[in-house]
Amino acid sequence: MKAKFRPARAFKTALVYLLVLLVSFIFAFPCIWLVLSAFNAEGDLLTLDGFFPETYSLETFRRLFTETNKYDYPRWFGNTLFVAAVSCVISTFLVIAVAYTISRYRFKSRKSLMKATLILGIFPNFMNMTALYVIMTQLHLINNLWGLILLYSSGSAMGFLVQKGFFDTIPSTIYDAATLDGASDFRVFISITLPLSKPMIVYTALTAFVWPWADFMLPSMLLVDKSSWTVAVGLNSLDDSEFSIFAAGSMFVAVPIIVLYVALSKYLIEGGAAGAVKE
Amino acid sequence: MAVKQGKAGVCSDYRVKLSCAFMGLGQLFCRQFIKGALLMLFEIGFILFLIFQGVENIIGLFTLGTTEGVPIMGIEGDNSVSMLAWGITTLFFIAFFALAYHANIKDVIFTVREIQKGNRVRTFRESLSTLLNQKFYVLTLTVPLVFVCVFNVMPIVFTALVAFTDYGGEIVPPRLVSWTGLQSFKVIFTMSEYIGTMGKILAWNILWGFGSTFLVYFGGLGLALLYNARCLKWKRFWRVFPMLAYAIPSFITLTGFCFMFCDSGPIVGQLKALEWVGETFTIISYDSKWSLRLLGFFCCAWIGIPSVMFLATGILSNASKDMYEAARLDGANGFQQFWYLTLPFVLFATTPVIISTFINQFNNFSIFYFLRPETVYAPGYFNANSSDLLINWMYNLTVENGLYSLGSALSLILFAFMAVFSLVAYVTSPAYKKEDTYR
Repeated sequence: MKAKFRPARAFKTALVYLLVLLVSFIFAFPCIWLVLSAFNAEGDLLTLDGFFPETYSLETFRRLFTETNKYDYPRWFGNTLFVAAVSCVISTFLVIAVAYTISRYRFKSRKSLMKATLILGIFPNFMNMTALYVIMTQLHLINNLWGLILLYSSGSAMGFLVQKGFFDTIPSTIYDAATLDGASDFRVFISITLPLSKPMIVYTALTAFVWPWADFMLPSMLLVDKSSWTVAVGLNSLDDSEFSIFAAGSMFVAVPIIVLYVALSKYLIEGGAAGAVKE
Repeated sequence: MAVKQGKAGVCSDYRVKLSCAFMGLGQLFCRQFIKGALLMLFEIGFILFLIFQGVENIIGLFTLGTTEGVPIMGIEGDNSVSMLAWGITTLFFIAFFALAYHANIKDVIFTVREIQKGNRVRTFRESLSTLLNQKFYVLTLTVPLVFVCVFNVMPIVFTALVAFTDYGGEIVPPRLVSWTGLQSFKVIFTMSEYIGTMGKILAWNILWGFGSTFLVYFGGLGLALLYNARCLKWKRFWRVFPMLAYAIPSFITLTGFCFMFCDSGPIVGQLKALEWVGETFTIISYDSKWSLRLLGFFCCAWIGIPSVMFLATGILSNASKDMYEAARLDGANGFQQFWYLTLPFVLFATTPVIISTFINQFNNFSIFYFLRPETVYAPGYFNANSSDLLINWMYNLTVENGLYSLGSALSLILFAFMAVFSLVAYVTSPAYKKEDTYR
């Protein structure tokens, strides 16, 4: 049976496409603008003709990677990658362990732990900053990338509620069966829970990677030396006369995450929803 | 029968008393040698710590230093701030030790009970394997808990205590800091420049909190519904665009928007070239108010909507199709289906999301930090700008101007407000009460 042409439905379809096109434009335009600006032959923001450069060249990228005395971009990039990768591994491990424990076991202080986490989460992050600065100074972790890694790992351990919501959905009968078969709790976790929660682990790892990768506050406070800066601090130190350098530098930060996100979007959507529904 | 002997019977056992007197002694007499020795070593270590460092730290916490340093003359005085930090750390150690002591007594009571029942005493190896099984949670939670205590709880305690000192302004090490009680709070609530600024900022902050939460939440929901429409082809392709906005780090987005809308940027330039606005038109300048606030809402929507959208997309795919089929048969139109089916379902599923969105937006530091790069303060505001939220004001007070005690007092006020709000919202939410429904 062929669908009959109905004006009302056609109008609705047209409206939907119009809206989608509009939304896509709003989201895409700033990105296109930034990418094209990176190829501007001149560096200054004022040299743009309207929105876009007059002449295009690869000059900015050459400067980005060679003028290391002014902006040591390769170094910043390496620092960021190191911090993000190490904290990603540690945080994922911690978050999954905590979420699983809170979801699976019933112990005395369980509910109060959850409430305490919630309250701690409310405390404005940077308000701890003066205190953190003092503590990090005492521990000699200023200008030290490991200090950042410690902070990110401990901070992410508190964000376990989404993962806990996911673990809540795994039926407890599976666990009971395994325990009856004589598996230790550790065994159960390794050989039953982990394989079942692959989407959740991908989701956790991704979010754990992106936070340090994109964070500005902590590095700007703890990293004083230019050589230990991360990309966020470095790029933020540029003003509008170095706009194309900023645009080009941003591309290398944003593109890897965009690729990761688009490739893993399935996990991202499933993971976030699985935790939220039953949180 | 032995169990019914009750607590008194066990507690009067000499081994329990020994463990109360010194950690691990009772365990030794229960022939648990390794465990007992480890516990005794632990207590000895703690006592040594107290003697050589701990007592001094605690005294330091109360005095905050007695000799003032004079760097020019080479006199190294006390550093009040690090004394405060170490004092708090020592308190944490003591609390941890008390917990361990309690656990030690409970452990020996358990063992003595087993002995009285005539059971064999657990070997050290067996104790360890218990840790892997019934007490698995101790194993997984200890490390994160220590981390969180050091890097999250301790800074908060530190900040809270700083609110009751005169730390900040002129009084920073090497000068001595001292306890001043409620002085900072008094200053905030009585000095006109503070209370006036706080009133204005708080009003804007509340408007911002509700406005941006509403915008982001319903924008995201609307977008999810739009991208879910049945007549839309290539859904995966269209979803890449909001994914772009979701993936780009916000410091790039915000700095990018700042460049785009600033005086030398293309938007203002184009508007001037088209002569739609006068020569003096600016969006971002030190005294711009509503233009920058609206820009804030726009950027916040651009950044925040995609994440809510993806969440809602996931949730919508869980909604039962039968429900909609039945509604359609009963003659419900698209709007009614949205209002009576979709919205309640999504609202139920995302209550925690709404709460966390509100908290994040209420304390959204980065939006106006990046959108207004200069630190020239607006007239009528004390160390703040008309678009600043409370958190930006606190940043200005503490990090930019070093008024630590005032900033801390302010953050305590804000924190009390937020904590009560979200705890009530969270505990009364159906998602929290019916946690086990889906098991």
